[in-house]
Amino acid sequence: MTRHTRLIMQMVYWAFVLYLFIPLSLMVLMGFKDSKFIGFPIKSLTLHWYKVVIQDLELMSVFAYSFTIAISSTVLAIIIGTWAAMLLSQAKFKGKIIVFALITLPAVLPGIISAIALRIYSQTLGIEPGMTAVILGHTVHNVPFVTLVGMARLNSQPMSHVEAAQDLGADNVISFFRITLPYLTPALVGAGIFCMLTSFDDFVRSFFLGGYEPTLPVYIFSQLRTGMSPEINAISSVVLVITAVMGLAAERLMRRK
Amino acid sequence: MPPQEEYSTGSRSFWSWLATSKVYQSVSASLLGTKKRRLVLLAAVPIIWAIVANLGPLFKMLDISFYDAYPLSKGREATYTIAAWREFFVTPVYYIPFFRTLIFSGILTFATLVLVYPVAYFLARHVPKSRQMLFLLLVLIPFWVGEIIRTYAIMILLGNNGAINIALKFLGIIDRPIPFMYTSFSLGIGIVYLVSLYMLLPLYSALEKIPTNMNEAAADLGAGPWRRFWRITLPLSKDGIASGCVLVFLIATGFYATPVILGGPSSTMFAESIANTFNVAADRWPTGAAFSSIMLITTLTLAAVFLKIMGRRGKGYL
Amino acid sequence: MLNSKISRRQILKTGVAATTALAAPAIFSPAYAASGTVNVWTYANFLPDSFKEEFQKDTGIQIRERLVDDQGKEFNLLAAEAGQPTADIVTIAGHRFRQFIDSELIAPLDIGRLSNWSRVNKVYSEADWTIVDGKKWGVPILAGAEVMAYNTDIVTPEEARSWDILFGEKYAGQTAYILQDIMSIVMLYLGYDGNMIGYDEAKAAEAVAAAKAFLIERKPRVRKYYDAGAEFQQMLINQDIVVGHAWSGPVSKLIMDGFPAAMTIPKEGSYGFVYNYNVVNNGPNADNAYILLDALLAHPEIGANMTKASGFISTFEGSAEFLSDIEKAAASFTQEELDALQFFRADNNKLKYDLVDPAVEEIKAA
Repeated sequence: MTRHTRLIMQMVYWAFVLYLFIPLSLMVLMGFKDSKFIGFPIKSLTLHWYKVVIQDLELMSVFAYSFTIAISSTVLAIIIGTWAAMLLSQAKFKGKIIVFALITLPAVLPGIISAIALRIYSQTLGIEPGMTAVILGHTVHNVPFVTLVGMARLNSQPMSHVEAAQDLGADNVISFFRITLPYLTPALVGAGIFCMLTSFDDFVRSFFLGGYEPTLPVYIFSQLRTGMSPEINAISSVVLVITAVMGLAAERLMRRK
Repeated sequence: MPPQEEYSTGSRSFWSWLATSKVYQSVSASLLGTKKRRLVLLAAVPIIWAIVANLGPLFKMLDISFYDAYPLSKGREATYTIAAWREFFVTPVYYIPFFRTLIFSGILTFATLVLVYPVAYFLARHVPKSRQMLFLLLVLIPFWVGEIIRTYAIMILLGNNGAINIALKFLGIIDRPIPFMYTSFSLGIGIVYLVSLYMLLPLYSALEKIPTNMNEAAADLGAGPWRRFWRITLPLSKDGIASGCVLVFLIATGFYATPVILGGPSSTMFAESIANTFNVAADRWPTGAAFSSIMLITTLTLAAVFLKIMGRRGKGYL
Repeated sequence: MLNSKISRRQILKTGVAATTALAAPAIFSPAYAASGTVNVWTYANFLPDSFKEEFQKDTGIQIRERLVDDQGKEFNLLAAEAGQPTADIVTIAGHRFRQFIDSELIAPLDIGRLSNWSRVNKVYSEADWTIVDGKKWGVPILAGAEVMAYNTDIVTPEEARSWDILFGEKYAGQTAYILQDIMSIVMLYLGYDGNMIGYDEAKAAEAVAAAKAFLIERKPRVRKYYDAGAEFQQMLINQDIVVGHAWSGPVSKLIMDGFPAAMTIPKEGSYGFVYNYNVVNNGPNADNAYILLDALLAHPEIGANMTKASGFISTFEGSAEFLSDIEKAAASFTQEELDALQFFRADNNKLKYDLVDPAVEEIKAA
């Protein structure tokens, strides 16, 4: 590529970053607005909403509840999704395409449909609405993504490594843990971040499958009836900062290595 | 990353201890002894999961779509009927949002591809390897902010008294605000924001795999930059394009909250029609279930046709 | 999709450590003893925090509050629990009782168990809509109305005397309404009865067809068919609209915050609705539900706090005395306006919504 096109691409990249960050900076700005509603004009700024967020124990537990669900469903999705990816990329059997279709189906189901279907279904299985049901709901949604990512990675795995290990006496389980899993790890971490993201952002499944404790999006939705308060912007800004710091810290650690 | 890097001495001793332990060897022999047993062990969990967790709810949904009423009041049995399915085909009202959703999602997928491809290319091919993570993080972090918050931020950005109109007025470019909100434009801005991640990651992953020396070799043979792009880079990133487009298309057809908030009076999407059957009246769940089934069958068929055109026939991932 | 360069184990490690730390409070929060709890499904800001704290301290009964944002979803949730509800009290508007009663989801109210029943304003406690199938069904808590709200910098109160400006040429492209609700108002505006009392199928179909044709004709002039109260507030603040139809609660809150807005019930009339706390049929803690309802009615100041938080008008006798002048002005109507207001009725809902729901879809698709 010429220097010219390279410059254009660089500009497109930064324009894209700008497109993503302008709404975000507005969101952060509104968290400081001295009013019960977001929007222009801003007459004066305040830290009031951040104080409210920090002092609000209920909100903290909403926060923690969302994180617990995100982590649990991600771990479950990684285990099941990786298992499915191994099956689909390593084994040869009849009807593989059907199994593939079945495993990846939830990725393409409209949220509201899968939520209501799961709600009725969990009722027939005797699972009460609540944390377990939400975790399962998010896991169902996330498994296909882990499987797809895992399969993509496995398809590019040099088989010679696994064969070499098996020549040295490792059975399938051991060669999986010693050779394949380390090879898969980077892809799985990526998929895991993705799963946590979708779990953390999911409203419709959490609403229908949840019990008395709301996840963050469910809590925010319930607030929308009476108004979009800057408090919600303050919460989201805190989430944003935490995730950004976590991401940057990880990146630094990696570079030092 | 070569796999060797991952072995620490600690884990090595554990695994070799495990591999040589008598108990493990006998368990392993009985579980993994034959090819058939290995396949059963490998297949059991995913297949049971797919049937119980994925197929079960859908079967229930399909079942309900043939009920005459649901939820059922006490002591009343459902009778089976195709009324809910018929409703879609005999009520032209639903064709408009249905086809609008398909067309809109198609256009949106293409627009996202055109916008995100250079971003992914820049990331994968021009940013030094050591900084790629940082540059990628920069575009991933915004996705940690929930859909609703981002959507309301877009309202404040595009409103008549929003950031853009205030800035344009301040610069003396306009006297009267430009009504951006509640148009296809505001809707596009909002949805591209939500789906670009699903396009970026497959594209980046495909582009990053293309060896640099291929381009160099072509350049040595006298191929110009555009020719190199059309003949080498684009074909080699076809997998990424295919999976990115399918993901974005399928996900875009299912969006509900963002189109409802950012769209205008004439941009009702089919997902909203479906949701209304669940939110408004009690006896319309079968209709909602039938509509969902229709949408699911249509979008999956379209995705399959698209993949076939791309020449992949279910090989690989998606 | 993702590849090796993106991420390594450190991310997982850092992530797990940070989130475990954050998750700790939820994991260790106390398990509620079922006997000492009451489960309430309600809208955000309907149960004041101060009341909850006091109630829990005085009675030892824990309130488990589940926030809902839509009555249709509330119905779906309750219906999906199929006779084994996890709720004791749900929040339902009077005109939607019928749907819940027909599916046997709520129980009739035993007024004998509420010593403070007389503290509910008679306008609400004795209203005809409270009785369905010869029984009382809920404790009225907050009242609201379908109003016309406008930006006072642009629209004058004289203009706002009539619904005309919502549909006229002058403010074209600067209006918004909730389609489902505006149907009833348009029926009233066109001389029909939006409640369809005594209507047969032919008459009902005629009314809905007229309203539908009217709204399709006006479609090029409307900026937005919206759903949530927060959307309406935001459209006024962002100046995307200058006049619109809304529920009174969200508008009151905007006025209380000092935004130059006003609301009115135009001369052609409009509809009011009353939120109730209803006891769930076969709920797990019915006794505690009655204790909670009685405590809620005990003091008018509780009602005032509910008004401040939600913007809707308290149904409790004397609650207005605990509001400031601005709050009173923001959450009340003149006598002339009240004369034009009638309540939504559940009587003919089946007939009405079987016609209105498809009409709404047709207007959106037109």
